[in-house]
Order: sequence, then C-alpha cells, then structure tokens
Amino acid sequence: MQTELSGHLSNEERAILHDVGFDSETSRAGTSVLIDHGLRLIHTTDPNVEILPLAEALRTYDFVQDLMFGLVEPDANHDVALVAEHMRDPLGHFVWVKPGAKVELPVQTFTLMETPQARQFTHDITLIDEGAEVEMISGSAVPGSVHKGRHVSINETYLRRNAHCKSVSIEQWGAAMQTYSYGYSDLGEGAHDASTSVMMSPVALSESHSRTTLGADADVSNQAIIFAAEGTTRVLKTQIELNGAGARCEDIARMVSSGGTIVNDALLTGNASETNGFLGCDGLKLTDQGEIRAVPALVAHAEGSMLSHEASVGMIDNDKLNYLMASGPEEDTARSLIVQGFLALEDKHIPSSLRQSVTEMIAKAKSGGM
Amino acid sequence: MLHVKDLSIAVGGRTILDHIDLELPDGELHVLLGPNGSGKSSLLSAIMGLPPFEVTQGDVLLDGQSLLGMAIRERSALGIGMAFQRPPSIEGVSVRSFADAMGAAASLEREAAALDLAEFLSRDMNVGFSGGEIKRWEVLKLVLQDARLLLFDEPESGVDLEHVGAIGAAIQRACKGGEGRRAGLVITHTGLILNHVEADQAHILREGRIIHSGEPHAVFAHIQSHGYTVPEAA
Repeated sequence: MQTELSGHLSNEERAILHDVGFDSETSRAGTSVLIDHGLRLIHTTDPNVEILPLAEALRTYDFVQDLMFGLVEPDANHDVALVAEHMRDPLGHFVWVKPGAKVELPVQTFTLMETPQARQFTHDITLIDEGAEVEMISGSAVPGSVHKGRHVSINETYLRRNAHCKSVSIEQWGAAMQTYSYGYSDLGEGAHDASTSVMMSPVALSESHSRTTLGADADVSNQAIIFAAEGTTRVLKTQIELNGAGARCEDIARMVSSGGTIVNDALLTGNASETNGFLGCDGLKLTDQGEIRAVPALVAHAEGSMLSHEASVGMIDNDKLNYLMASGPEEDTARSLIVQGFLALEDKHIPSSLRQSVTEMIAKAKSGGM
Repeated sequence: MLHVKDLSIAVGGRTILDHIDLELPDGELHVLLGPNGSGKSSLLSAIMGLPPFEVTQGDVLLDGQSLLGMAIRERSALGIGMAFQRPPSIEGVSVRSFADAMGAAASLEREAAALDLAEFLSRDMNVGFSGGEIKRWEVLKLVLQDARLLLFDEPESGVDLEHVGAIGAAIQRACKGGEGRRAGLVITHTGLILNHVEADQAHILREGRIIHSGEPHAVFAHIQSHGYTVPEAA
C-alpha cells in the first residue's frame, strides 16, 4: 500500500530543509516531511519503500502495533510518557523497506518546526526488513525566525536479519530551544548499521538518549559530530548492548566546544561471547568557557567479550596550527581546518552550509581560544 | 634575499645558535651541513618564526626587512616557506582541501602530477604517508605556496636511497626551475642530497656556530674524510 501526501512545500521550506540534507523528493526513494503538528509530504519513488503516517500504519498493518513501544516502555521516563500520552493521534511516520530490497536512492525524513514556542511530540518507526539495504537521510530544522520551542521525539528502528542501513542525521534547531530525542534500535542477526549524527547548531539544551541492541554477528558503526557554541548544552547518553555472539560495534564521538557544554556518557555492554566493541570519545576545547565531559564505560558479562575505549580532551595542537600557517593560511583559516578535520566534516553527506556555519562559529570562538 | 646577521637564539636560557652570519642571494641554493644537535633545524625555525626559540642577538632580514617580531603567518605571506622534517598529521584535512585554503586549487593537479602525487589529493595530510611521500608533499606544499625563500629541513631523512634523487630533483626544480626570484636553504646531516641538487654554497654548522663555508662538493668531501671540522686550508 502506498500513501501519498502531496502537501506543498514552499521554496523557503525546501531551502531550510536543504541545509539539513533535503533533496527533491523525485531524487529520493522515499520522502517524509513533518511540519509542526502534521505530516505535510509523503512521497515514494521506489515500490520497495513504503512510508505511512504512523496513525495510518497502525490501522493498516497489525504488526506495527508490536513495533510501537517494542523497544522502549511507554512509561520509561517522563519524556517518553509525554509522547505516549499523545498516542490517541500519534504524530510521526512509519518507514518500511521491504524484505530483500536493494534500494538505490536514499530515503529521507525530516521534521520542521515553524511555529515559535511550539511543543512538538513525535514518534517515528522504521523497519528495514530482512536482507534489505538502504541509505537514510534525516534532518530536523527550524526557520531562522524560530528560536524557542520544545521538541520531544521517539525513534524506534528495527533492522531485521542481514539488513544493511547507512544513515546520516543532521539537526539544526533554534538557539533557545530544548530538544529531547530518544532513539532505540534493534539489529537482528547479521544486520549492519553505519550512522553519522551531526549536531552542530546552537541550541539551549539538547538531550539525545539512545539504546542499541545487537543480535548475533550484527555490526554497528556510529559516528557523532558534536559542536557546542557558548550557550549550548548537549547531553548524549548512549547504550550499546552486544547480545548475540559475534556482534561488533564501534562508536566514535568527536566533540568540539567553543564555550558550550558537551556531556557524552556512553555504556558498552558485552553480553555474549566473541563480541567486540570500541568506544571513542575525543574532545577539542576552543575556549576556557563551557565543559566537555567524556565518560565511556564498559561492562562485560560474557567470556570472550573484547571491549575497549579511548577518551581524550584537549586543545588545538599548536604544532599543527603553526605547520598550516607556515604555508600561508591565516590563523582563523588554519584553526577552522583543524577543527573541521577533527570533526571529519568533509563527508559528502554533510551539507556545505553546515561546514560554513561551523567555520563562522570557530572564528567567533577565537578570542578566548589560544 | 636572506641575511642572517649575527644571530643568536636560545631556548629557556640555553644558547642554541651563537653569532650566526649567513647570506643567501637570489637564485642561489645553499646547503647547511652539521651533525645532529648542531642547531640546523633551530636556524630554520628561527627564520620561519616557529617556537620555542628566542632571538637574543642579531637579526634575520628578508630583502632588507627584519623578520623579528613577525608572526609565522606574516613571514609566510612574505614568501618564506618551509618543508618540515617531521610534519604533523592533520586528520580530516585532505591535500586538496588544504590547497583550496592556500588558494592554490588551480595549480594543484598539475604540480601534484609533476611530483607523482596525483593520487594523494584526497588523502589526509601526512596521515599514513611513507617517508618519501611526506618529503614530496612538503616540496609540493612549497610550490603551491609559491614560496620564494624555500627552507628544507632534512629533506632526505627517512627516504629510501633510491628515492633521494627524486626529492633532490623536486627541490632543484622548486628552487631554480620556475620564474621569479627564489632561493633555497637545505639542511642535511648526511649530505646525500648534494648529489641531486646544484648547490651554490655549503656551510658547516657545529655547536651553534657556522665554522666554514665553501664549494659544496669540496665541503662534503672534507666532512666525509675529516668530519665536521674546519678544513686546514680555510
């Protein structure tokens, strides 16, 4: 079954979403755009990708009931309960990539909050079925005029046996907003997930909670790119559980504070034999303001579970700075290059506009930097 | 072009270079020879303005203009460039993106091909480079910068003998192959590079002082037979 919501997106809306990865729906296998309190656009160009409003998916497919709150209890915490209370008319999408599908074009999903001081509660469910392969792009944004509001989201993602997913998510909220996201993923046997999260723009408070469970021989590779300008607090709480024999994970967080606070609390648990996992938390501090706190933790319950972590926080290496400046670039340019390199911003999935805004924030941070 | 005038430098109160005098005219390539720890790299760092050296005496002049008090960036803007002996790895910054930042994107492909580095453009700077690759990249960097005073810190160190010739040829081309006024100063403790560049003069630096200057091959021959000493005829 295919549902099309052909709501109009203005050029301004498209431009805002473009900065967080949006491209024309005709060049994507599937597109979902949620604006304020309703899904505005759903479009698919690939028969193996189905996207429905969650409320409709619950009515259409019995099994969606089991996916919803399948990875988190509705009363797990205050925020999740808040979303659950809105479930009489759930707001969010259901994305289903059919079994065995090799989806060539990316699937994109976006959330846009246009109303100042709005309260947005969303619940999205993604099912990548057995043997399917897909690339996902997701983003969250507000127009430049919106700086206050509150967004709470739950994402439940299922990768069935041997499913493969590569994803990029980019958020660009308002500077005085509070956002709380709860992401839960379950990888079946042999499933593979490679994700990049980009959290760069100023926001008053952003809390990202995630829990990933891996079955036998499943493999997850996470990369988070986090920037906190003055006035921004970002809290990441990550849990990864290697539950099946042979499960593997690598979770890398690159954090840069130019006066803001970043707390990265990651817990990796090995519950089965022959599991292998690594947590990497590296921070770069550009000023004396704010804080970077990296707390990687390992718990091994099974014999043969190989877990390791690495954490570092430092400042820009003067040797690198001098080396670059000795070839001509100004100090601001050299600093920006080092920070962008640290954050691995050359990834082709990361919009150039984001790189530009990071460059500007680094330049602003210079006064208290070195 | 370059005039190092009665220069003394120190680190933490300890003298590293002691009353150095050196003149490097336009169009010339000089080689500075000396044992490890003699102060060769310190001299290049003092010219480039790299820390932690403190000038305690004398001056460094480029075309008559004192470099003292100038930041690294100001010196590079004047056309001073340096090929580092052990450059830092810059993770996440590709050769191509750095060339963009230098404003040298237009000449990158051509110059990289000339140094057999065409395949390196998407690689992060100095990350996983072999010894020879690092040296060739350091030369390419100077070419992209369009430096006119080219400083080379031990360009043959860590390079397989069979590849020293390629590095020497690149240095020769960078210093003497292009148009405009250029000059080069190469420091080396092995002297191997002398077989592959047309040096105009060699200097022996020992214990922080230049003890002899002369025809490069004669100086090198003396060092091979008598070490870093002053030739008797001098």
